[in-house]
Amino acid sequence: MDQDINFDEIINKYRSDPFDYLDVVTPHTGLVKFKVSDGEKVDGPSGKWHHHPGTLLYMINREKNPKPIYSLTNGVVASLRRELEGEFVEAGEKLMTIQHPLKKREIIEGILQNVLYLFKAPEKAKYFFSLDIQARLEKQDDKAVFIKPGDEIITMSLMKRDTPIYYSGEEGIIHSVYFKPGESVKQGQPLIGVCAKEKLPLIQKIITHVKAEWS
Amino acid sequence: MDLTKKLSPDSIQQIIQQEEIPLRSKTFSLNTVTEIFRYGAIIGYTGEHHDQIGRGMDWARHLIDKAEETNLSFPSGTVILADQMVQSKGRFKRPWHAPRGGLWLTLVLANTLLPESQLLVPMAAGIACCETLRSTGIKAYLKWVNDVLVNGKKISGILTETYRSPRFKEEYILLGIGINVNNNVFPAELSSQATSMKSCLNRESSLPEVTARLLAKLRWNIGLLYHEEARHLEIHGGIGKNSETLTENMNQDKHLLLESYKSLSDIFDRRVLFGFNVQENPQFEAKVIGLDNSGGLILELEDTSRIVQHSGEIIYLD
Repeated sequence: MDQDINFDEIINKYRSDPFDYLDVVTPHTGLVKFKVSDGEKVDGPSGKWHHHPGTLLYMINREKNPKPIYSLTNGVVASLRRELEGEFVEAGEKLMTIQHPLKKREIIEGILQNVLYLFKAPEKAKYFFSLDIQARLEKQDDKAVFIKPGDEIITMSLMKRDTPIYYSGEEGIIHSVYFKPGESVKQGQPLIGVCAKEKLPLIQKIITHVKAEWS
Repeated sequence: MDLTKKLSPDSIQQIIQQEEIPLRSKTFSLNTVTEIFRYGAIIGYTGEHHDQIGRGMDWARHLIDKAEETNLSFPSGTVILADQMVQSKGRFKRPWHAPRGGLWLTLVLANTLLPESQLLVPMAAGIACCETLRSTGIKAYLKWVNDVLVNGKKISGILTETYRSPRFKEEYILLGIGINVNNNVFPAELSSQATSMKSCLNRESSLPEVTARLLAKLRWNIGLLYHEEARHLEIHGGIGKNSETLTENMNQDKHLLLESYKSLSDIFDRRVLFGFNVQENPQFEAKVIGLDNSGGLILELEDTSRIVQHSGEIIYLD
């Protein structure tokens, strides 16, 4: 991480383009029928458990098995490939992009995820801290729990099988926790963000700066 | 096999020959039955019996570490039996009461299954326990994931943990299995929720016999996991895959272990309270609709939307 981080540059980058761009690609081959148009607003999943699907984006039909594909985030449809309407497409074909407007929290998180070491979920499962880490998190001050490679930090729970997860990555302080006990985490999503102790003030400076500058 | 004083080395094989093969042959060809038992044959092939240990899982880890220290790999299928365990604990720091009279068994399996099959190992152990109890005439039922209940009271519980050995980095699945056999006195906080074979049958049972029968059932059900993995890979190229076509959906090949689970469970259409740690933090009420291809619990919420859970616990509300 660069100690001489240029706050203005980061802020200006997000000011000029405060969006995330999510490409929507086909999960498998099939005939495509669009349900949205370019410029249309779409919603992501909702409900306490995210069990209500987002806006229906398109249907893909392979051998009489029509499958609805819903938006995974809110935003606006962009770059829709209307020429593929009714066409048979390959798996992995990009159909459109969802332009997702970023909130302040997402911007801070985006910056942090660039500067922290992210330890990611090995499988889609539920996770909880190991007893030792949990006790230290409860006992020690916020952002004071130090971990190093090889430490048993988290337990992965899947079908009532508990698997200890050992930390691999840069040693440092657990700065951010991205999971809640009892909620599923998808494979590859970050579980924790770790930074070297001496970099903590810098991280805090970034957060304060973005909070102050971003309206 | 050195299961020492109480469990005869031949007793598992005798049960397989005299009871299991005739029973399973009613549904499967003899070739298939033989193949499945061959897959499961490692279970109980080696083992040890203790008068008393602290915690079976910890002892299993100790044995694995000790074997590796001497450059040996640990034999998969090893069984550790104890007459009583004095430092046992369940998930989330819950107490695990393991006095004399009960069946306390730890099974060590080298993790050689594909991830899709590994998901079903805890269920396979639950089925084995439920089948063992039913073979004695007890009307036992499975509660997702693998608790076994009789008239709503728990008679058997299973703990599953993964252990990665420190030296060779081999991954093991440790199954801690408990069945209340002749122990029918429980701590006050458990007495209304627990039962035993002795209470159900009004007589004591032979522990070595119940143990041998459980190991025979484990050989079948763990063997079935390997058999189904090989069969699904050969025919479909994978296990529990989501189908892309209507034809595939209609002709979906059922996983035999899940079919067996469904036949032994009374969870379906029941209202439940769900939570990751449901005793301390219940999350929501729902109705159980079914199981998905990977053993996940399909739950219908109050607004009729459905979610699938692969981790958590349920408490029956009806």
